[in-house]
Amino acid sequence: MSVIEYEVGQRPGPPTRPRMEVDPITLRVLGGAFHAIAKEMAGVLFRMSYSSIIRESEDLGAGIFDAEGRELCESDSTPMHIGSLPWYIRGFLHRLEGRIEDGDVIVHNHPYLGASHSPDVAVAVPIFHEDELLGFAAVTAHVLDVGGAYPGINADAFDVYAEAKMYNALRWYEAGKLNEDLDRMIFDNVRTETMNRGDMNAMLAACQLGKERFLRLVERYGADVVMSAAYEWMDYSEHMLRHEIAKLPDGEYRAPTGWLDDDARNRGVRLRVETKVIVEGDSITIDLTGSNPEVPTGFNVPFEGSLLVGAYYAVRTILLDEAVFPEHVPQNDGVFRPVEVVAPKGTIYNPTFPRACFSRFTQVQRVVDNVILALSDALPEQTTAGNSAGIHFCAYSGFDEKQGEYWLYLEVNEGAYGGRHGKDAMDSVDNLMANTRNNPIEELDLRFPIRCDQYELRPEPAAPGKWRGGIGIIRRNRYLVPGVYSCEGDRQTDPPRGVFGGWDGLVASCRKNADRDDEEELDAKVTGVPFAAGDFIELVEPNAAGYGDPLERDPELVREDVLDDFTTIQMAREGYGVVFQDERTLEIDAEATKRMREELRASRNLPGSLTRYFEERPVERPPNPVSVAGDREFGRA
Amino acid sequence: MKRLGVDVGGTFTDLIYVDDTSGTVLVHKLPTTPEDPSQGTVEGIRQLTAEAGVSPAELDQVFHGTTIATNLVIEHDGARVGMITTEGYRDILHIARHKKPLNFSNYQDLPWQRYPIVRRRYRLTVPERITRDGEVLVPLDVDAARARVRQLKEAGAEAVAVCFLFSFLNPEHEARVAEIVREEFPEAFLSVSSEVLPQYREYERFSTVCLNAFIGPKVATYVRRLEDELKNLDVRTGLHLMTSASGVATTEAAVERPVNLLMSGPVAGVVGGIWAGKQAGYANVITLDVGGTSADIGLAQAGKLRMKHLLDTKVGPYQAMIPMVDVDTIGAGGGSIAYVDQGGIFRVGPRSAGADPGPAAYDRGGTEATATDAMVVLGWLRPEAFLGGGMVLQPERARAAFEKGPARALGLSVEEAAMGAVQILTHSMVQSIEENSVRKGFDPRDFALVAEGGAGPLFAAQIAVEVGTPTVLVPPYPGVTAALGLLATDMVYEYVATSYQRLSSLDAEQVGRRFAELEAEARRQLEEDGISSERLLIQRVVDARYAGQGYELRVDVGPGAIDEAWIEKLRADFHDIHEREYSRRFEESDIEVPNIRVRGIGLMPPLETAEVEPGDGAPPEEALRYEGSAWFRVGGELRRVDTRYYDRAALKAGDHVPGPAIIHQYDSTTVVPPGLAATIDRYGNILIATGGAAGDEAREAAEAVEV
Repeated sequence: MSVIEYEVGQRPGPPTRPRMEVDPITLRVLGGAFHAIAKEMAGVLFRMSYSSIIRESEDLGAGIFDAEGRELCESDSTPMHIGSLPWYIRGFLHRLEGRIEDGDVIVHNHPYLGASHSPDVAVAVPIFHEDELLGFAAVTAHVLDVGGAYPGINADAFDVYAEAKMYNALRWYEAGKLNEDLDRMIFDNVRTETMNRGDMNAMLAACQLGKERFLRLVERYGADVVMSAAYEWMDYSEHMLRHEIAKLPDGEYRAPTGWLDDDARNRGVRLRVETKVIVEGDSITIDLTGSNPEVPTGFNVPFEGSLLVGAYYAVRTILLDEAVFPEHVPQNDGVFRPVEVVAPKGTIYNPTFPRACFSRFTQVQRVVDNVILALSDALPEQTTAGNSAGIHFCAYSGFDEKQGEYWLYLEVNEGAYGGRHGKDAMDSVDNLMANTRNNPIEELDLRFPIRCDQYELRPEPAAPGKWRGGIGIIRRNRYLVPGVYSCEGDRQTDPPRGVFGGWDGLVASCRKNADRDDEEELDAKVTGVPFAAGDFIELVEPNAAGYGDPLERDPELVREDVLDDFTTIQMAREGYGVVFQDERTLEIDAEATKRMREELRASRNLPGSLTRYFEERPVERPPNPVSVAGDREFGRA
Repeated sequence: MKRLGVDVGGTFTDLIYVDDTSGTVLVHKLPTTPEDPSQGTVEGIRQLTAEAGVSPAELDQVFHGTTIATNLVIEHDGARVGMITTEGYRDILHIARHKKPLNFSNYQDLPWQRYPIVRRRYRLTVPERITRDGEVLVPLDVDAARARVRQLKEAGAEAVAVCFLFSFLNPEHEARVAEIVREEFPEAFLSVSSEVLPQYREYERFSTVCLNAFIGPKVATYVRRLEDELKNLDVRTGLHLMTSASGVATTEAAVERPVNLLMSGPVAGVVGGIWAGKQAGYANVITLDVGGTSADIGLAQAGKLRMKHLLDTKVGPYQAMIPMVDVDTIGAGGGSIAYVDQGGIFRVGPRSAGADPGPAAYDRGGTEATATDAMVVLGWLRPEAFLGGGMVLQPERARAAFEKGPARALGLSVEEAAMGAVQILTHSMVQSIEENSVRKGFDPRDFALVAEGGAGPLFAAQIAVEVGTPTVLVPPYPGVTAALGLLATDMVYEYVATSYQRLSSLDAEQVGRRFAELEAEARRQLEEDGISSERLLIQRVVDARYAGQGYELRVDVGPGAIDEAWIEKLRADFHDIHEREYSRRFEESDIEVPNIRVRGIGLMPPLETAEVEPGDGAPPEEALRYEGSAWFRVGGELRRVDTRYYDRAALKAGDHVPGPAIIHQYDSTTVVPPGLAATIDRYGNILIATGGAAGDEAREAAEAVEV
């Protein structure tokens, strides 16, 4: 069944199930119960699972959905998964033409039928009550390998058939009975059978638990009350978001053009990202018209499971910021409703089947970053300066002769946030839509033939601003056995953008065998690069941008930054105009600072850029003793 | 034995004295002295021993529970900590697990960056690196280490944490740096990761070890001062403190590893609840300790405490990977504020009016409606009976708060809104009980709910009905249950060692030897405490997981030789525990054992309390304070019903108190809703039957809400 006819982004409209009034107390109770179920499902999933990408990083999502995929609740795991499951469900319902039986277990990952991308496999079980399909308990999780051309990551795949095995609405269990041949088909065709099996078993257990818990609510309160409460909560979340959108003046808000490094094959050809935010009353449209045409690699974005999720995330996070907004507004179908997304067919944000779309994360992150930048004049107190808005998602792998399987380690390298109104940025943390956990170094070293040589803040100072930008990390990982390395990354050419006079940030970089005579610069997106035993990769993540004029930063705060090595004495002078009496006590010379700031103010009219600053002043990095010892160990001293 | 338990909380210092020989039990309560809690403690001991007519010198045991460590963390009031760590990994504490607390927020703070336990300027690195095999890849640069220590001293550090990668496999480098600290900077509080927490996962370990350093100097000062003052008072037994794992720490252990005291207070409450349950004949209990702003919830099956998963063990926003009893704290208490948000949703808490201004009924300037106000509106709290008459409540203030607040916003009557607020708060406690304990495979019908704290007994019956526990147990002194818990427990020391082995290829000789080493250490400590051999018990525990998984479960294992049978038993037990926790088992999978543990136990005499005089089944006349009316939900409707108000002190064993009834005592109030009934057992416990037909009826009444 071809999917070229499938029209993406079709929402089912308002629920048609008859509703009854639910008293405010029961409503409150059920709202809490929905959230608790999702949380519990996620807990089971990450604790039971085998691969570190799920277990340590929690790259997963879990929730309960109605029969047409409307989201009742989702777990507080990484936002990239939140809001994609409705589209998976609509996608597999389309493929199954609605044929769902009690006891079925559906496995799905088709990126042109709702999946976020092919390695984010969904497992879903229907919830029946008195012969009525009330909905689904469903989870998504990033499984290590889905049998594409290369282990773990396929950024430059030829088409969807090359990037992964497609699980298109497969019934792993049919009416409660295991489909044995299908089971073998799934697990015989991945490089990490044991891990995938353990993980997918955990996913199934999470779904079954979700279903049981939901049915317990239905038994106790009745299906009509439970479903009515669910729809009531959707209306609540929708109302809260619309109320905030309506406060924005109608109009079009445009972000500066963003540039992605390349498509993983055609080097040096940057890809354009155009973002317009259109506010009309209490609705908002993210319009990506003008963005790059689709690419012949895996660097396209599934429209439903990834792009829409990014747009929902951006709007909700800016307008209903959980740390600032006084009420907890649950994440459900309601927060999706006020948001429309326009991306012309045939662009990287709405590709045509069978274009590959394995690596989509950085493009979506840039849309989120651009939405924030577009709204910075309208909402200066709710937006940030430019974020790292990328990721270096790495796959380290090799074949384990003894096990007869691949070893495969997936790593999410964190970014940093831009400066914010009234406070400094968050350093070295998963940025925007990413919210995974890192893999402990000791866990990595013990479990894989990899050794982490270095993991800390990169040495360059933060991007200056009245509120400074966040600092990215430097990380070095060494192969102790021969293997291959793949990565989907970005942001190695276009730095995070400063706002209101804050400086632009620093770009990322990847180097194989950094500072060694066989050093090699790597592009952000590479596939299957061979690494010999003793070779290592160095990843350096962006420093995000500053917010506001650094000459307005309190000199005391600059001094504190110097003490903590978040900035340098030199940058204090050149970027902030802060002069110290002497370099030991760091007493501020108030007079000289005043003069220096006046001088800088007079001589400068454009925001600065850390990237430009360091092009002129290469940073000297002292040799890292662990790297030195590692090189010696492998005869590369 | 003459034993004394003292629990220092935020508001009150509670004490209990027990003489196991004569059967004397005395309780005492006095205000906490926040500027120096040892003052209140010592004064309390002086008063209580005087009351008991014994001299402090006669005490055989003084056991102490405290929130001092917790408060240092929550108020961020610890020491200036310097950290020495491996070069190339300076920012493990800054990066943490690179995950944000909130998903949908650009303006949130990362507490470990905004309020770091160790500021970056005091995180210094030295060249060194141990590999995953415990071998030295980069030798320790001793000169650099010495220079760093001097640098920290010069910078005015008060504590030094030494945190190297893989030190749990090879502590050599850390030990060497510790030596240098002792040489160069002996006055610093020293916290070494391979000593404090020899376990893998560097962020969690470093965070724990640095927290240890952060609270170390002040806890050490407090504990030492308290010990000195006890000596001045002529208390001759050593001071013992309750740990987060409900174990015991000596003064020395508390000074070395104060991080183990982080949950000292709440844990004692759970232990006290277990004891109260056992005494009344209930081995399975859910404990509910409700104060002004928060509620602590614990669960014990067969009288055994449950431990938290090691990666869930946080204090405030900081990770502290230490064994902790599974106590869940939620923002629900008497001071929780009831309001309607702009989307029209009725909410209660977690915002609290606290003690100041307090509920509107306190008439101290609070205008927002709270749970306490709701109870006043409903007639459950009598204005003149609060704190034994120590405070007179203003019911019209409570009514006004509801009238202007939630009642108006929702178009409800004041009573309906008040009942709604109580129900919402009840539900959030129900939710927490279900989520954190009952949903892990424990059937609530097998448990009794123990109501503790000033407000626990107000809510308990309704919660029991909702959760499905058939009995509510209100101990004689709900407010001092935690102090009682201190005396109701054995002295338990726990020792841990990393093993990192698989069952299929277990090095039995090595595991046996490590157990023996830990056991010797445990024995030595207990003997030092004067525990005789017949009261001394050694237990073994392992952390285990399926090979390939990342999270461990604790499994009790038997004594004796590590042979096939021993391994088989461990394997079978692990499968069962995994299935109970996660509802799945994987028989074909190998099992890993990352850590082994030994528990050294000094058995304490069973705590026995006096019995209450038996009555004739009906409450005596003098127990009935007055007859009035209160609001309850009956047959689905909110109604004003005739209600009897009793004085608890006058109730006799065997008395049967049908609801609706309110039972008052100095530090608490128990509500017996209509349709339910309370009886007094021979120890003076109030038991409310909430199961069976009565429970069903009460549940239906509660569910058939018509608003």
